[in-house]
Formats: sequence, C-alpha cells, structure tokens
Amino acid sequence: MKLTIFDIENWKEIGATLARNKTRTFLTGFGIFWGTAMLAILLGGARGAKDLLMRNFDGFATNSGILFTSNTTIPYKGHAKNRSWQLDVTDLERLRANFPELQTVTEMYSNYGVSSRHGRYSYSGNVSGVAPQYAEVMLPAIYSGRFINEADMSMGRKVAIVGKKVANELYPTDPSPIGQTIEVNGIGYTIVGICGQTNEIQMNGKLDESILLPATTFRRAFKRGDKVDVVMIVAKNGTKIANLDSRMRRVIYSRHAISPDDMAAMDIFDISEKFEMVENLFLGVSLLALFIGLSTLLAGIIGIGNIMWVIVKERTQEIGIRRAIGAKPSDIIVQILSEGTMLTMIAGIAGICFAALALGITQTLTANEVSTPQFQMNLSQAFTIMGTFVVLGTLAGLIPATKAMKIKPIEALNDK
Amino acid sequence: MIKLRDVNKTYPGAVPLHVLKGINLDVERGELVSIMGASGSGKSTLLNILGILDNYDSGEYWLDGTLIKNLSENKAAEYRNRMIGFVFQSFNLINYKNALENVALPLFYQGVSRRKRNQLAMEQLERMGLADRAHHLPGELSGGQKQRVAIARALITRPSIILADEPTGALDSRTSKDVMEVFKQLNRNEGMTIVIVTHDPGVGEQTDRIIRISDGVIA
Repeated sequence: MKLTIFDIENWKEIGATLARNKTRTFLTGFGIFWGTAMLAILLGGARGAKDLLMRNFDGFATNSGILFTSNTTIPYKGHAKNRSWQLDVTDLERLRANFPELQTVTEMYSNYGVSSRHGRYSYSGNVSGVAPQYAEVMLPAIYSGRFINEADMSMGRKVAIVGKKVANELYPTDPSPIGQTIEVNGIGYTIVGICGQTNEIQMNGKLDESILLPATTFRRAFKRGDKVDVVMIVAKNGTKIANLDSRMRRVIYSRHAISPDDMAAMDIFDISEKFEMVENLFLGVSLLALFIGLSTLLAGIIGIGNIMWVIVKERTQEIGIRRAIGAKPSDIIVQILSEGTMLTMIAGIAGICFAALALGITQTLTANEVSTPQFQMNLSQAFTIMGTFVVLGTLAGLIPATKAMKIKPIEALNDK
Repeated sequence: MIKLRDVNKTYPGAVPLHVLKGINLDVERGELVSIMGASGSGKSTLLNILGILDNYDSGEYWLDGTLIKNLSENKAAEYRNRMIGFVFQSFNLINYKNALENVALPLFYQGVSRRKRNQLAMEQLERMGLADRAHHLPGELSGGQKQRVAIARALITRPSIILADEPTGALDSRTSKDVMEVFKQLNRNEGMTIVIVTHDPGVGEQTDRIIRISDGVIA
C-alpha cells in the first residue's frame, strides 16, 4: 500500500471534497471549533480568575498575622470583665524574645481624620506610625524616595512617607515633593518618600491615602506612651501562625492579667489562613473547569463520531461508486479518516485562536495599573488540547470509517 | 476476452436461491454483445460477476486471460480499476465533483498525478464532445450528457471491456440512440469489447449478438 498520508494528491482530493460540501463541513467543523474554544477558554479563564483573586494579596506577606485587642469578656484575678486593655512595647519585646519562629514583629499606630497641610492645600486622613519592618509585612510600593529606616526610628526624626494620593492633593504641581515640608497636626515633617500599595488589603486605610511617620516620632507627637495599637507578625517559612496562637496568648495574657480562656480579648488575624482559603477555592475552580472542559471535549468527540457516521450513511452510494471504479478498502478508510483529521485540525486551530482572542480581551479589560491577570494558555497547553482533539477526533472517525470500508460496491449501487 | 465455464451462484438464506445454474459464455475481443433477460432471470447477478463486484461459487471466469476467482478486496478493486469500465443506468456520477473530476477519478486510485489525470480526462471529454461542459457539475448536465461523462470515465483507464448496465434505461428515445451510437463507434473504430445488459429489444438489436438468459441459464 502506498503511503497516501504523505501524498499531496490525496490532500488535494480531501480538500476538494471538504470544499464541495460547505454546509456539512461547516457544521462538523463548528462542533469541534466550539469544543476546543470552550476547553481553552475554561483553562485559560481559570488561571486568569486565580490571578484576579490573588491580586488582592499582591504585595503582602502571606504568612503573616495581625494582633489587636478588644475588651475582656471573662472576669479574672479580681478584674471585672469588659475591661479595656492595650498591647505595649514590652509585649513586642517579649514576642521577639520568645518566638524565634517569627521573622518579623513590628508595631503600628494609627490616628484617623488628622489634618495635614501644605501652603493653601489641606488634607484630612489617616496618619500611621510604623517601623522599618512594616515594609516586610505590607511590601509597600515606593514610587520615589525611600521608606522609614532605623536612623529615623532611633533619632525620632521628623520625616514622613506620604501616600501617592496625599502627595497629589497637597502638591498638585510638584511631581516629586521629596524634601518638601508637610504639616501634620500642626508639626512640620520632611517628606522622604512617596508610597502606595498594590493589593486590596485595607490596613487602617489604603497606603495611597495615608501618611506614615516613624513609630517613635508618632508616639511622641500623638502622646501614646508605651502603648501600641496593633502588632504585626510574619512567621518564618514552615511555621503556621495558627500553631503559635495559644503560646502567644499565654505570653501576652499573663502580663495583662487576662484569663487564658478569654479568646475574645485579643484577635490574631491570620492572613495565611485567608490566603489558603483562596488557594483552596481556586483548586475547586480549577477542578470544576477541568471537569467541564473534559465533558465538553467528550461531547465534541461524540459529535464528531456522530456526524462522521451520518456522513458515511449519506455517502454510501458515493463510496460504492468509488469502490466500483477501483478504490481499495484502505483508500476509503484513509479518505474518511483524513477528512475527519483535516477538519478537526482546521476547526481546532480556529477554536484555539478564538479562545486566545477572547482571553486576550478579558485580560485587557481586567488589567489595572499595577497588575495584569494572566488570562492565557501557554503554548504547550494549546498544543495538548489540539493534539487530544485531533487524536480523539480521528479515533471517533474510526468506527464510521470501518463501516464505510465494509460497504460493498453492489449494495451501495443498489441503494437508490 | 470473456470466458465463463459452468459458473454457479447461490444466494444463501432460509431458502437458498440458486441464481446462476452453470453459465457458459464466450465474448471475443472486439465484440459488441447484449445480454437480455427478464427481471429475475439472473442477468444482474451475471453482470455483477462479470464486473468483479460479486463472487461466484463454482466454475471459472477468465477475463482477458486472467482467472477471476476468490480475489481479495484489494485485488478485485485493482482489476476493476484497470480492466473494466462501468456504465450504469443511473450514471452514478459523484454529484459534488464536476465532469472533469468525475472522469479523472479512476486515475486518482492509480496514483496518477492531478495534472496528468486532468489532461487525460479532458481528452476523453473532447472525444465525447463535452469539452465545454468539463467544469459543470452533474446536476447541470442533461441525461445524455451525464451518460457520456460516465462513458468517458469508463474509458479513461483503457479497460479491456466496457460493462454497461441498462445504459439507456433512464434516457428518452432520441438520447438513447445517441448513446448507442457512441457505443457502436467505440466498438467499430477502436475495437472496444462492450457488453450491454438490457431488457430493451431495441438496444439488443443494435448489437452484434444477443445472449439471452432465462432462469439462470443461457438460452
């Protein structure tokens, strides 16, 4: 048998046959086109959706937690319940000393509705006091200048990092107001950096809308003594914040005479837990997408087989004629299979292209200035989908093709 | 050219049907013969065997010096392609291929290149006076034109014999005459061996010899 697959004449014949049956070719092709497109869109879309969700966490240490206090709910050691209490710098030091599993322990202070001004411009918003380690938790975007450093802290320098939006409000004509003076609550500070954030997490307001001062400077300016508002921690890799929960409570509660059972007196907000939740959610989404995708694929394949079956049925006479004038059974099987394969390939490529276009548009629509979610398939994924479709499409055509091969010329010619 | 010796054919079934009961038949090279018989006489079965479209149970069938017996599907296809030109009552053209492509199709299965087979197909169409219809689909041709396209297709492989099954059955009397004229000219001018199966006495009369088959035997 000559290798008809590599015979250009054979492909020309197949091309001509497909071109002459436009409606049938289109209908068969459309099923495959849609199947490939759906599968590709689902897989690419799932990845894009994950990126979209993960954008909320972008630029935030994922293995981190935040400690903040509430009134006590259990009477203890002579204290009535509903007592208010606050974390203080000693708690910070004890956490640092007792928990080598934590790579960062840092504090944050915030005052709201603080008015700041520069010349005739004024701004009312959130002012926070933070240490340099704050950047290890929040990973702020520094647009220009620098972040707070140790020297600012130890010397209690009157410097400020201002949010991008604050800078725009107070210095509308100055693209980079580094070195300018900003007046916060009546005290002048030198601007050393402009910052912002890339995630959607709100820690006492978005960084873009805040003014940051060194923690030591803040404590003095706003008369906080040794109290801290919240404590932020980052655990080392391999350590779960949740596992440190009870030990941290013990260390802190003993100093403040709080019942060890009073879980409501302090919240330990575990970011990693939320992060994991999204990861798990996405795993579910991925599995669902895969399931739907595979179902679509299966439906598409069955569709090809079905249509090929009808094609063979309606072409019985034609196949009979071909057999009568000298087509061998193998010629017929190669013809039917090649038609199926060629159709699957063309329609499949069209489907992938359509999916790429649809994903590209979605990506453009969901992109913002900081990040672009990857609504994309990689090339190997596209080829895998294509390959699977071509192979399965060919296999689906095998049963009808075998049937076509068995058509006897006399039966076919009598079939009028 | 054709030599049948005691050919028997029985269709199996609940009641086996003995259709051909020892057919002996000779057709010489260059003869134009007709096979006539009533329906149910076995003439269609005989035609199928002559055309290597069906097997027979016993006896011998020699075509152009080759014994045609118990052939594989592939061998049968190859012999049909090279030795036999079919002309059918209902033309049996492929309706989505134009006249030229229909005529060229047997050469496709011989592995002849497109250019070569289109050239040969065009020559055949010219002989049939259909050069100007080469790119028309069968649906755009008259019955007579369709049958001439079919004859061109039968001739393109230079077969040993032409087998025509009721070639005028679907045509009016005037067109029938034209088609018979084509057969006669092919026979007279080129010495083509032609076997026509028909029940039309008018067609039979125009052939050199009428072979009558009745109840599975040659009368």
